[in-house]
Amino acid sequence: MATAATPGTNVVEAQPRTERGKNETRRVRRGGRVPAVLYGAKKQTLAITVDPKQMARILTSETGHNTIFDLQVGEERSKAMIVDWQYEPVKGALLHIDLKRIAMDERLKVSVPIMLRGEAAGVKQQGGILEQVLREVELECLPGDIPSHIDADVSELVFGKLMRVSDLPHSSKVKFLTDPNQTVAHIISVKEEVAPTPEVAAAEAAAAPAEPEVIKKGKQELVEGEAEAAEAKPEKAEKPEKKEKK
Amino acid sequence: MLMPKKVKYRKQQRGRMRGKAWRGSELSYGDYGLKVLEPGWITDRQIEASRVAMTRFIKRGGKIWLRLFPDKPVTKKPAETRMGKGKGAPDHWVAVVRPGKILFEMEGVTPQEAAEAMRLASHKLPLRTRFVSRHEA
Repeated sequence: MATAATPGTNVVEAQPRTERGKNETRRVRRGGRVPAVLYGAKKQTLAITVDPKQMARILTSETGHNTIFDLQVGEERSKAMIVDWQYEPVKGALLHIDLKRIAMDERLKVSVPIMLRGEAAGVKQQGGILEQVLREVELECLPGDIPSHIDADVSELVFGKLMRVSDLPHSSKVKFLTDPNQTVAHIISVKEEVAPTPEVAAAEAAAAPAEPEVIKKGKQELVEGEAEAAEAKPEKAEKPEKKEKK
Repeated sequence: MLMPKKVKYRKQQRGRMRGKAWRGSELSYGDYGLKVLEPGWITDRQIEASRVAMTRFIKRGGKIWLRLFPDKPVTKKPAETRMGKGKGAPDHWVAVVRPGKILFEMEGVTPQEAAEAMRLASHKLPLRTRFVSRHEA
């Protein structure tokens, strides 16, 4: 299990941003860079721009967003990591990144991906499907001890048995913050879809309501006097339809 | 067919579909998904047809999640009716989707099976779509 901290190997160059607002950030993106913000370590928050390729390389690396790298902003150089990031929904381009300064001697909270290893007995022998409910676990540790991922062996997982957060292997340097009873993975069964016969389909269609119930608004019952008045009111005579011109 | 159990009003206006799907645009449950690339309405029948196409292809292999629900009523006037005399009766239900929305998710199958199931499902839909997986994101 590789750790996320690889000091001295990655240096990310960032440029400070002076102007704010959507117009300026759009200009930054058009210029081939990504707007970002740097905060933490009880220092001033800085608006910066970074290279999207470098950020994408970090996000897709083995250690992912928990990678600790050196960030050079002007003359200031500090250890930082990615805390949050946004993608454009259609094209998938990076839109904005939150970076946090890291103090290497202070414990921090990070979320680490869980990797399921092995073939579950419930899948191999019982014909079930392995469902991963929890994909990341939150933990607290020193920046140098952040694991790149947590391996969970599911080879003994069968029907009716759950893998919980408490079952995940971890070293004494790491403290889990996620609820230890939370389910990580389990085996589920899925029924095969059988094509319904025409009779069954017709019966189902007939049983289904045509329209949903409408939630009534305001007073349900009219006051007696109003109700009588409403009844006494003669219905508006329908206008006779105009004859079609020939 | 999918439709709401209770509604506040029987009929709705058509509305606009501006912008992109900023919510519901990332995989949340499964490893593979189908992302829509243009705005539009997807009817309850189209959703059901896609679901059936996927479940029949993967048989007992995997699990499917539907990430859209048809909650908008569409009205229709009867055939050969003169214009006027008010809005027509509710006819069917649609889900309004914007570009980027994940429509279906899948887990427990191979990438090839998931891609083929999503391809079959996409042929039942009136909009352009793209297959997405967690590994490439």
